[in-house]
Amino acid sequence: MLQQQLVNGVVLGATYALFALGFTMMFGVLGVINLTYGVYFALGAFAALWASKAIGLSVWLALPVGAIVAGCIAVIVDTLLLTRLRRAKAPELSSLMVTIGATLFLYTGLSVIYGTEVRRFAPDFAPSAAFEIAGVRIVATQALIVVAALLMAGALIWIVRGTKVGLAVRGVAENPDAAALMGVNGALVTHLVSFMSGALGGAAGVLIGLNFNAIQPFMGENMMLRGFAVIIIGGLGDLRGALIAGFLLGIIEVLTAGYFASAAKDLVAFALLVLTLWVRPVGLFGRAAAKRA
Amino acid sequence: MLDTLSDLYWTYQNVIHGVAVNGILALSVYVVLSIGQLALGQAAFMGIGAYFGAIATTKLGLPFPVAILASILTPAAVALAIGAPTLRLTGVYLAISMLGLGEISRLLLLNWDYAGGALGLSGIPERGDVYLLYGVLIVLIIAFIFVGRSRLGRAMEAMREDETAAGVMGVNIPRYKLAALVVSAMLAGLAGCLSAHLSSFIGPNEYGFEEATTILSFALLGGIGTPLGPVAGATILTLLPEVLRFLADYRLMINGAIIVIAILFMPRGLLSWRMKRTV
Amino acid sequence: MRIALVGVIAAALISVAAAQDNKEPVKLGAIEVLTGPNNRYGIPAQRAFDLAIEEINKAGGVLGGRPIAIAYEDSAGNKDQAMNAARKLIGRDKVPLILGPTLSNEMFAVGPVVNDRKIPIIGTSTTANGITAIGPWVFRTAMPESDVIPVTLKTAKEKLGVKKVVVMYANDDAFTKSAYDVMKDTLAKLGVETLATETFSDKDTDFTAQLTKAKNLNPDAIVVSAHVDSGSGILLQGRQLGIGKNVRFIGGNGFNSPKLAEIAGEAADGTLVGSPWFLAKKDDVNQKFVKSYKSKYGEDPDQFAAQAYDSMYLVARAINAAGGTEPEKLRSALQKVTNVGVMGPFSFTEGRDPADTSGVVILEMQGGKFRIFGETS
Repeated sequence: MLQQQLVNGVVLGATYALFALGFTMMFGVLGVINLTYGVYFALGAFAALWASKAIGLSVWLALPVGAIVAGCIAVIVDTLLLTRLRRAKAPELSSLMVTIGATLFLYTGLSVIYGTEVRRFAPDFAPSAAFEIAGVRIVATQALIVVAALLMAGALIWIVRGTKVGLAVRGVAENPDAAALMGVNGALVTHLVSFMSGALGGAAGVLIGLNFNAIQPFMGENMMLRGFAVIIIGGLGDLRGALIAGFLLGIIEVLTAGYFASAAKDLVAFALLVLTLWVRPVGLFGRAAAKRA
Repeated sequence: MLDTLSDLYWTYQNVIHGVAVNGILALSVYVVLSIGQLALGQAAFMGIGAYFGAIATTKLGLPFPVAILASILTPAAVALAIGAPTLRLTGVYLAISMLGLGEISRLLLLNWDYAGGALGLSGIPERGDVYLLYGVLIVLIIAFIFVGRSRLGRAMEAMREDETAAGVMGVNIPRYKLAALVVSAMLAGLAGCLSAHLSSFIGPNEYGFEEATTILSFALLGGIGTPLGPVAGATILTLLPEVLRFLADYRLMINGAIIVIAILFMPRGLLSWRMKRTV
Repeated sequence: MRIALVGVIAAALISVAAAQDNKEPVKLGAIEVLTGPNNRYGIPAQRAFDLAIEEINKAGGVLGGRPIAIAYEDSAGNKDQAMNAARKLIGRDKVPLILGPTLSNEMFAVGPVVNDRKIPIIGTSTTANGITAIGPWVFRTAMPESDVIPVTLKTAKEKLGVKKVVVMYANDDAFTKSAYDVMKDTLAKLGVETLATETFSDKDTDFTAQLTKAKNLNPDAIVVSAHVDSGSGILLQGRQLGIGKNVRFIGGNGFNSPKLAEIAGEAADGTLVGSPWFLAKKDDVNQKFVKSYKSKYGEDPDQFAAQAYDSMYLVARAINAAGGTEPEKLRSALQKVTNVGVMGPFSFTEGRDPADTSGVVILEMQGGKFRIFGETS
């Protein structure tokens, strides 16, 4: 049973990591608690669902569609709302407040259009074969998620560290004014980061919605709290951290439920979150950043 | 005529209560916000206050004043206990740790069968009335105005504007932070107890993340320049769903849109003037 | 001469007044979740009420020709809004009776208020324990789990020889927890061994940890108390993990939805659910209801609709029996009223719960549809 539980944990962890990648980027680079991230998660899933039903796309094509739609909407929200506030040098809390309002608006809008019932992708949307290896059962979609999480994290880390664009992003994250002085187009970078995190959220929505066959307008909300835990434990803004913390959390949760008590499963994330904040607030990989109020 | 008036009052009684309760909650957020910290733990403290207050009257049969005391002291104790480690945290980290604690307390309440577990506590006796609620609210507002004008208020504002400078000028930052947290917890707990005894039923899922952000919005909408700001925000956001009732399906959407538009055009909140100080 | 004129005018006025009286609708109140995540329970009820009213009014209404009308208030699943709704209906609209609210949590808050004001209130979908204990004005037409689950589990034991089970339930929802309490009691009374009890959150989507544990214990069946969202996830993941078809899933009322097969597909085959009603019940009353509902709304009714539909007819009968809408008379009329509806024969116990449990059937999911367990179609 242990092997199966470990596999369960790795798969669950992959879903957390996937969700956290875009979230930590949004949070860590743009520096604001953006509660709309959960909406992008749901939007990606719904966009892909629509694409698969209306145009008959398979998972390989619907996934990027979902990601791109979510990314675009993220940029629109950022432009319409957040940039304006940034320009007016409004207190940070106003940004938070605006995202609360926007989230309410978008979630409700989604449920007005689609209803609140749970949906799923068509059974033949993605490969659904189940494998049994060494007494452990795993389904193709689960393997897909694990691979996707690793690949996306890898790609992102390479972009952020190894390319000029990544350098610009890091610069803006560290010190927007200095970066501007160095010729970095701050607004463009912000939009780029918004798009990327929105797209990541959307992609996560498609994959996770596919894996659990549970697509409904509020699906992002349920992930948000765990998302907070993962990005804090991993370190705000750190992609490796999000990846590792995500997997770690998934494995610990499953093992707690499997060997201790299933009632404690939900407690794990928050207990670890609070512990991290008290013992090592910057998380596993965070750098002690300059104090931001 | 009197009949119609009293009928009218009875009809909207719950809303009238809600405005006062939310006003007190908004003030509990205000305490923390006015020293420059972000607050997301009020819902959890409210829940603790509500539960311990309700258990006092429902299960232990104690008189209402005892319940009120319990609902103020228990959250205060919790705040003190968790205060020490969280003091070192700032801004976003503090807020998220409060969120985490809120979730933990929600999960603990869910599994606490004595308090009803998932089924919640029903049959809470009706205690307190509109005079008590508004009386408390008004007393609090006056108290806050006085504090705001005093030296304490100046210290708080200094912390809000620039914590490092305030520390250098001799403001005992950790003590103020802890005090603010404890006071905020007490107010939220009080609001929880009062509210519980006017709605005869409470459940553990009423004090979660969503509620925490709603409480925060009261203060953010109203502006934190004066204690009247959060109360105004609370009033508007409590009445809004009722006023928008005719919009049916679109009600929550419009609610969200109103918040967005309000903030975009008034980022510092509705009542953003700062208090005049006499000192 | 003058007397005659006065007499004629009086007669005219009286007949006009009487004519007014005859057309004046009887306005009832209803609180349902019409928006928000739980509106899938409230909307079918609203539709069924409307359908029933349409039929009743077409057949002449109540009290000799008066149509029934319902003032709906949306609670959006929010306790506070449910309370505001109740106060508005009673204080402002002065309704003589309230239908709903949808959720048990809402009823716990609303019930005492309505009970205090001595207005009858009828829960058509609230199945938690303790609802009718709120007070003598609170009625319930929804069959509580404590009547249905024992029948389900007894059938499983007797017809399938189930001797040891694993129980899973959502521990953060009043409805699923209530149902679990009944399951626990019943299993103990039947002498069925509970190998393990696992919990999860109603909003969870991953159940692999609990299911792996369950699989390893080799139960005869897995008993689940969950809403359809988490329930279908459990079925899917259970089969994916390799839990064999010989291990059946047995569900509480939350499983009683065609959505189960929609989401879980093949994994739902063989699932057992006890239900006070099901779609393909062959009697005339039910078939007519299903047809009318489907043609009016384009969808099959579910049990929330069925219960609401019957409740409306019940209320109409009670109004007629009471000869008016005076609350105290209505209350006594309700206590005594009987009806044969789509759920079968109905009357209230002294405790104001459904008295007749003979209509409970055990359903099995096969190929996307429910059918009576044991019947080969």
